[in-house]
Amino acid sequence: MDISVLQTLASRNLWGAITPEILLGGLALVLLVIELLFPKEHGRIVPVATLVGLVTILGGVLFNAPSAYLNQETFNGLLLHTHGGQIMRIFFLLAAIMVCVIARVSLAKQSLPRVEFYHIVLVVTAAMMLLAQSNHLVLFFVALETVTIGLYILVSYYRTSLTLEAGLKYLVMGALSSSLMLFGIVLLYGVAGNPALPAHTAQSMHYGQLAAFLAANPHNFLASIGIVLVLAGVAFKIGAFPFQIWVPDVYQGAPTPVTAFLAVSSKAVGFTALLALAGTVFASYAWLVAPVLTFFAATTLLFGNFAALTQHNVKRLIGLSGVSHAGFLLLGVAAVSRAPMAVGAIYFYLFAYLLASFAVFGVMAHVAGANDADQELDHYAGLAKDRPFLALVLALGLGSLAGIPPLVGFMGKLFIFIAAFQAGLYGLLAIAVIGVVVSIYYYFGWIKAAFFETWGKSVDAPTHPERTPVDFVTGFALSALALAVVVLGFYQGPLGAWLSAR
Amino acid sequence: MMTASLNAYVIVSAVLFAIGFFGVLIRRNTLIVFMSLELMLIASTLALVAFSRVNGTMDGNVFVFFILTVAAAEVAVGLAIIVALFRRRHTVQIDQLDTLKN
Repeated sequence: MDISVLQTLASRNLWGAITPEILLGGLALVLLVIELLFPKEHGRIVPVATLVGLVTILGGVLFNAPSAYLNQETFNGLLLHTHGGQIMRIFFLLAAIMVCVIARVSLAKQSLPRVEFYHIVLVVTAAMMLLAQSNHLVLFFVALETVTIGLYILVSYYRTSLTLEAGLKYLVMGALSSSLMLFGIVLLYGVAGNPALPAHTAQSMHYGQLAAFLAANPHNFLASIGIVLVLAGVAFKIGAFPFQIWVPDVYQGAPTPVTAFLAVSSKAVGFTALLALAGTVFASYAWLVAPVLTFFAATTLLFGNFAALTQHNVKRLIGLSGVSHAGFLLLGVAAVSRAPMAVGAIYFYLFAYLLASFAVFGVMAHVAGANDADQELDHYAGLAKDRPFLALVLALGLGSLAGIPPLVGFMGKLFIFIAAFQAGLYGLLAIAVIGVVVSIYYYFGWIKAAFFETWGKSVDAPTHPERTPVDFVTGFALSALALAVVVLGFYQGPLGAWLSAR
Repeated sequence: MMTASLNAYVIVSAVLFAIGFFGVLIRRNTLIVFMSLELMLIASTLALVAFSRVNGTMDGNVFVFFILTVAAAEVAVGLAIIVALFRRRHTVQIDQLDTLKN
């Protein structure tokens, strides 16, 4: 091979374009070095170093948000840097910061090594950020597997019987969905490169080339099987019906910070992939993709909300409520092809979901005892009297998740509904409204447990585990989340404009 | 020289994939479920190599190495979880792993 070919290839590897991801990987390695250098004090240094590093990287990404690489392909078409990619980078960094804040509270109740937890969170976050910008099915698959395998370890991190069982269930379900998706990718690769078909391409796993091939062959049988398999794999990750069976068990068994990571970041990963694939690459297969998405959205909305009604364990409750939130987001994805504002609405909904969810998970980490899987609604009795700050944050977070008017969750749902209305999805919209009404019931059951169930219980023998006091960092983070939930509900301003910009 | 057609490869890999898929759904022993998962990945690599040969592009052959790496990482983590779980419960039968209930 001529040396100049290699030079051209190498010149397209613009490493500067993925500086945040490289820094995250570097930070993950630094944590391991800190453990070696400070064998005694690393338990205190590592969380602080992680948080400082993450906030610095977030600042850098925010500062460089209109990056020089915008709308440019790097690494020979493996990556495409878009505005949406920048939004999701910031999303994943914010989520990682909140996971580490919650992990400080939760890990303090266990006697376990700390470093590896933060290390894996950083690596997984870097993979998520790469996935948000991927433009090639190979990078998509490898980044997704890095995320999933990292999460297998995190889910079973506490190594108790329940946590390991949750880890095994997540492993089997996750590997099954990855294999389905992989077979779909292989079929797409095989069909799109087939020399006998029109518009076949040598780069058949590149999103742009694949989209061009699919547009030229809009009714290919193997390609449609491939598309359905890929969509099924993504549906597993976001917990859409009928692929939601793992959600309650895994959410209950996983440590609280990992449950938060799964609920927010892992779901957002699925939706970034769905936006990139269903929205653009598979656009010419709308005859197939639209009914599949409509089916997912309708059944997910109904199942998530009705299954959550009967739950007493708050982690299962929040897991099934997360399924219903996936339903609302799927409604947005179904609207994308006919209502362009739906993309901005989905990003806004994801941010609203991030703020409210982490507020709730932050409170859950304080209320939980040493047995992390055992978090019942009864444990919240008297929280308003005992810890008014936590109860207030919980009420704001749950209110926002339910979509109560002045809060940010209401605006998120409103934007999605407007997009669905513009796209003419009236049937789905009706199901979504039923879902909202049902969801208010179980969210308020939780708020009721925290605020009104103080009487009738013996004061001498509290039935709930010891509640952790709120320290400065966690208090600051929770106040910021609660404030954002209220303020962004009244005034979306620059955030809304930035999220809906194209 | 006799060469098998592309269809033969695709059918064999689809059959392997189906065996793996139903193995995961039906078998009750975690280790067998795990082997079925690997079978699904291997089915994909077989189809990938066949397609790569017919299409005349190297992408498929290179992708196989990525898949093997991912499968190895998955096995390492998965077996660690299964061994740790066996030490706690003394069983790897899926029907007996049902403590997580409402």
